[in-house]
Amino acid sequence: MRIACLNIPRFAVEVERQRRNDVATRLILIGDGTVFDCSLGAEASGAKPGMRMSEAIGLCHRAVVLPPDMPHYQRRFEEVLDFLEDYSPAVEASDPSILRLRSGRGLGIAFLSLDGLSLEPEPFADGLIASLHRRFGFMAAVGIAGGKFTARVAAQTTRPGLAKAVPSGGEAAFLAPIDVALLPCSGDTLRRLGLFGLRTIGELASLPLAAVQAQFGPEGRRIWELAQGIDREPLRPLRREESIREHLAFYAPLISRQALVTAGRGLLSRLLGQPAMNGRAARRMALQVLLSDGRCWERAIVFREATADQEQMLCVLRSAVETAPLTAPIEELAIELSGFAQEMGKQEGFFSGNGRQRRQVAESIRQLKARYGRSPVLQIVEVEPWSRIPERRHALIDYDP
Amino acid sequence: MVAHPRAAARAHRLRPLNQPKPIRVEADESGEPQAVVLGRECLAVAAVQDHWRIDDEWWRERPVSRLYYLLLLEDGQVVTVYQDLIGLRWARQAY
Repeated sequence: MRIACLNIPRFAVEVERQRRNDVATRLILIGDGTVFDCSLGAEASGAKPGMRMSEAIGLCHRAVVLPPDMPHYQRRFEEVLDFLEDYSPAVEASDPSILRLRSGRGLGIAFLSLDGLSLEPEPFADGLIASLHRRFGFMAAVGIAGGKFTARVAAQTTRPGLAKAVPSGGEAAFLAPIDVALLPCSGDTLRRLGLFGLRTIGELASLPLAAVQAQFGPEGRRIWELAQGIDREPLRPLRREESIREHLAFYAPLISRQALVTAGRGLLSRLLGQPAMNGRAARRMALQVLLSDGRCWERAIVFREATADQEQMLCVLRSAVETAPLTAPIEELAIELSGFAQEMGKQEGFFSGNGRQRRQVAESIRQLKARYGRSPVLQIVEVEPWSRIPERRHALIDYDP
Repeated sequence: MVAHPRAAARAHRLRPLNQPKPIRVEADESGEPQAVVLGRECLAVAAVQDHWRIDDEWWRERPVSRLYYLLLLEDGQVVTVYQDLIGLRWARQAY
């Protein structure tokens, strides 16, 4: 099996440079307490991912320090993954949990299966690099080998814009001069490899397996096999989970949380009316709020039990919005529902108020919607009832019972 | 099963209510309205019943700065108009 690894070095820095012109030529440190990612210039000054931010600023005092915007990086990386799926049917993101790690390593790395592709690997890689640059402006390096580890090392040790193909059977020879720091092992194992005087992967490969395994246990066996060019880790293609999403762009950025909850009600109403929700309930809800300063706030919520009840969802949404750190006016709200399950039956009260009347109204509107394509009935909602600007106080939204 | 289209959904906008409507107003040198054109009629202002100023959203690119007038017209109608102090345009809007 031939695998290509695509590596976009300093992905978070590149994304920030594309987003903000004012930092295009500056040294950049991204992170809060620790450095998440840093530009090449900052790295040349001694800063590196994982380092304490205060230490990195001391080494590189002219750098611009940016807070990490993980949802934005994740979105951009997903765009890249979507693009890569046009090139190969099996694409794997480097590490699905990478966005939970506080380190820039791994972000911007993806693997593609080359099995069944008619093109030769090198022209394929060159075409991929050029198309990616044209489409997104990212300059990537591509490594091609028989296993994921060797392909990743090839991509990480090759200059951006170039491709490196390791011939089948030549993995061990290629890896021999490479620093052991690129091996996927714990910090403690790396430290102990250093204490044994093992600097390169070739030095590790020259030791007997039994000795390495005796010292480092199962992890030792794995890194020894990798050093020999034996990599049995399969490519795990991305699994696309079914989800539905709606978003609402505000005509003027909102500054109140109440208005955000009102907008959320409208979106939930639309989502629950979609055919995908017919007779089903959602287990997860993801909220995404775009702020006017370009930042994004995201929150994933898992319901105790799958639900299709708008009021229950709204109650959870309200409590999430109330505690959200919204530091700028809100430009857009998006809600995504996923984790679909069959809806559980619920016993209604025997004396259920004006339910019948409501059902009649809902049915009439459904018929009108079927006839005209959209609900002709609008609902007045309070947006910012306390605003001094009259047109900000109320708005119309499609009434979709 | 409905496959996730992986495409951005259409944004559904909130439609604002009570949007200001442009109107022609004749004002004196001090800026106080003297006559208002409603439809095809030009109606003289009988009295300025009230006026107030709002300045808001000064932190945005397009701040809001308006001087509102509550006017009693010669035919007995009461209308609220304002002058946008940045674009110097007049508009009618219920307050």
